[in-house]
Amino acid sequence: MTSTRRIGMTVNGERYEADVEPRTTLVDFLRGTLGLTGTHVGCEHGVCGACTVLWNGKAVRSCIMLAVQADGAELKTVEGLARGATLHPIQQAFLEKRGLQCGFCTPGLMLSIDELLARTSAPTDTEITDTIGGHLCRCTGYQAIVEAVHLAIEKLRTK
Amino acid sequence: MSSAEKAIPRSLAEIPNSRPRYIGRPTNRLEDPALLTGRTQFIDDVVLPRMLHCAILRSPHAHAKITAIDTSAAEKLAGVAAIVTGEDARRWSNPVMTVPPGWGTHCLAIDKVRFVGEPVVAVAATSRYVAEDALELITVDYEPLPAVVDARQALAVGSPLLFEENGDNVMFRKLFTWGDVDAAFTDAAHVVQRDFRWHRLGANPLETFGVISQWDEVEGTLTCRGSFQAQNHFAMSRAMVFNLPLHKVRFISHPHGGSFGGKGGARGTDITALLSRKSGGRPVKWIEDRMEYLAGGASQAWDRHYDAALALDVDGKVLGFRVRLLDDLGATAEGWGAVSAAKPLTAFTGCYAIPAAQYDLTIVATNKLPGSPYRGMGPPPHNWVLEQLMDLAARELGLDPAEIRRRNFIPPAAFPYTIASGNEYDSGNYEATLAAALAMGDYRALREKQARLRSEGRYLGIGLVTTIEPGVFDWNAYAIVGQPGTGVPEGATVAIDLFGKLTIKVGFALEGQGQYTVAAQVLADWFNVDIADVRVIPLDTLSAPPHFGPGGSRLGVAVTGAVLGAAQRLTEKLIAVAAGLFRTTPDQVELRDGRIGVKGNPEASMPFQEVAQAMLGRSDLLPPGIDPNPEATYVWTAPGRTPADDQGRAKSYLTAANACHLVVVEVDVDTAQVRIEKYWIADDCGTRLNPASVEGQTQGGVAQGVGAALLEEAVYDEDGQLRTSTFMDYLLPTIYEVPMTVKQALCTPSPFAPLGAKGCGEGAMHATPAAILCAINDALAPLGLEFREVPASPQRLWTLLRQARRDR
Ligand code: FES
Ligand code: FES
Repeated sequence: MTSTRRIGMTVNGERYEADVEPRTTLVDFLRGTLGLTGTHVGCEHGVCGACTVLWNGKAVRSCIMLAVQADGAELKTVEGLARGATLHPIQQAFLEKRGLQCGFCTPGLMLSIDELLARTSAPTDTEITDTIGGHLCRCTGYQAIVEAVHLAIEKLRTK
Repeated sequence: MSSAEKAIPRSLAEIPNSRPRYIGRPTNRLEDPALLTGRTQFIDDVVLPRMLHCAILRSPHAHAKITAIDTSAAEKLAGVAAIVTGEDARRWSNPVMTVPPGWGTHCLAIDKVRFVGEPVVAVAATSRYVAEDALELITVDYEPLPAVVDARQALAVGSPLLFEENGDNVMFRKLFTWGDVDAAFTDAAHVVQRDFRWHRLGANPLETFGVISQWDEVEGTLTCRGSFQAQNHFAMSRAMVFNLPLHKVRFISHPHGGSFGGKGGARGTDITALLSRKSGGRPVKWIEDRMEYLAGGASQAWDRHYDAALALDVDGKVLGFRVRLLDDLGATAEGWGAVSAAKPLTAFTGCYAIPAAQYDLTIVATNKLPGSPYRGMGPPPHNWVLEQLMDLAARELGLDPAEIRRRNFIPPAAFPYTIASGNEYDSGNYEATLAAALAMGDYRALREKQARLRSEGRYLGIGLVTTIEPGVFDWNAYAIVGQPGTGVPEGATVAIDLFGKLTIKVGFALEGQGQYTVAAQVLADWFNVDIADVRVIPLDTLSAPPHFGPGGSRLGVAVTGAVLGAAQRLTEKLIAVAAGLFRTTPDQVELRDGRIGVKGNPEASMPFQEVAQAMLGRSDLLPPGIDPNPEATYVWTAPGRTPADDQGRAKSYLTAANACHLVVVEVDVDTAQVRIEKYWIADDCGTRLNPASVEGQTQGGVAQGVGAALLEEAVYDEDGQLRTSTFMDYLLPTIYEVPMTVKQALCTPSPFAPLGAKGCGEGAMHATPAAILCAINDALAPLGLEFREVPASPQRLWTLLRQARRDR
């Protein structure tokens, strides 16, 4: 139980190395060991999407992955979206369209959207719905989130 | 303050700014940049020196005697610092307070367990992983007892008893009668009576509850940080639980990831406090996980059996309304208990002028999770019952659902209007709201389409419902179930600093509704500054002025009142100083558009910030005897509230918002799938302080209403085992189920509330389940079927449809 393994990874462009117990989940590692607390835990069983991070560019649920699985990976979390005080276009769009209320689901959701918009600059409505469809938001009723995605697409196009 | 203090402005025209820039506009939220960048500090983000982590061992039985607990192996595990059981709880704490009293337990089970998920043993260790390892080393011996899971059986003679000392399982029973309801039913041309069943479901904010408690035995203090919806209330209850003076208890609220009434956390707070004490004062953190929340948290509300009836005359005028409610509160009354069943008194008869009514209320205990509040508190099921009966009555009388409602609305000229159950509605125009919804949806065309599709064998249903959302809750509404007090204070302190910037200090944390922004909008417009010049800071229970926080659709209105009151007091102070500087008397000086000056003399004025600077830095200029602190506090409470009489009648909630929802669903009679096609909302909540926030509240309420109507249910089997213990089984609505709605705002300002605003956070939750269920029944009507159960899950609906097919 107390045996540990040394792992290394890049998170938001920064290189980290640490000793972890093999049973440590990725989200506990990011939040507890690295102190990157912007990634949230809503269910810890892979349903809500709050813990979503990008793992080599792919959206994954960090609550049902182990930290050791991310050894050697490139990760992106919500802390990697803004440049200093300048919000990322997705964040700015969420702000302008009120795509958040309590903001607890938002970091994970924005990373799924980031993944989508990295793949295609003109997603279909179905693609947008399916991206949001992997996340639970208890506050907004999703309408403002859809509007935020459309605005983010607009902002990225004219950037 | 002198008795000559000015009243709180009830309209925008009364504030000292000719061009307000923020109030009433969809101002961006101050809270969002931190939330969007992951910097907001939620409770699980907090780490304190020497902090321990708590894990809780819970009962696997619905009802059982505890015969032995062995923690010796767990105590030896490296990293374990403290273990507490019911014995520690008995030694160091009291049972939690309940409404009504006498139906609560200690935070850890003593002698017996009463529901699956009840905390029995708790461990504090160096990590959550180690704490959970320790739980596996603990053995608890139980002697199972018969459990009672059904509310009707809980009433039967010989039923297992939750609290033997109470003699039966009846927590509360009262018959409320308002007006001559017997005559109404005797004289009626039509009586429409049905039973209804609303199953357990609940808040499920995306963030569960979390707390860090620290017991300091040297100072004799308890400090708790956490996601408390009402920190002051928490502090008071903990003072009573631990026999501490209130000023030795300090609660620090962190922003939370939603609450909706269902954050809970009292037991977890008490358990961590005991662990901290036992570990010699180390801070102990407990973050409830989702499975704990579903089985043992504040995740369940409204387990209700209704029998209700409307009495109508030949024209469809409602003469009387009778409701018999059997409310299954679960194992204890710790989660605000009977309060939720009492809330319907504040809007018992909805939008209608119904002269007589009766409420036969029985609350029972069963071996299930104690019920908790949830958005709307009690009215969502009640409003469904009323609205569905209105539809059924319309059908019986051959009236259109819109027409029967029109015939019964309280007319616009009748406000302020006192309803049979005693509350006073401040203002409204229900016909206008209904008309707006019908026009948006083109109601006539919808009915035509429905008829056309029916001839093609498709079942479209149209749901049209109205609702009243009582806003700005008051304790007097709950006097009848044993909750003392009239008035709910909300305080704010407003300060100007040496460099001229503004701060508002409040007693509540962020929760999602955007009230910091509302507070800042109001103050920015009062002093005519950029909203970026205003900062809102939450204070702990010992630092903040008296407060309650969010709950009962009150905070937007209440914090507006508090900020206006404080700004007004601060302005008086600035004026007193400025009068000295201008060598005149205060009555000659005014604040206007951010400048303080002599009335009628634009030359003699200065920015208000300079007056504050003089107060802080130029004592030589100040008139003698002046208070040099450019800061003021105001504690707002709703005006004109009255104590309740023996039938619960009181002027309770200050405002009455109104909405009309129109929805079209299609029911697939082969698969029982219900698809929401279109959704329109006309909504009148008076002045909208921040329209974008109101829309967000409405849409969020619709989503929760869709969940309630179609998906969400906490299912227990006959042994009291929870069958919905994860998000795989307890289904929250996703974007696939929630309709994108078309909304229209109407505005009948409140004549009583600050700036004419009304509470607006809960109304959509009152209306949406009712609208969807009415629509489903509208679709099923040609088949001669009625469906009166929430949620209308596919399986339930399918059973009904299949049964009907067999019978045919
Ligand atoms: S926390 Fe990972 S999916 Fe819910
Ligand atoms: S904004 Fe609160 S859960 Fe999405």
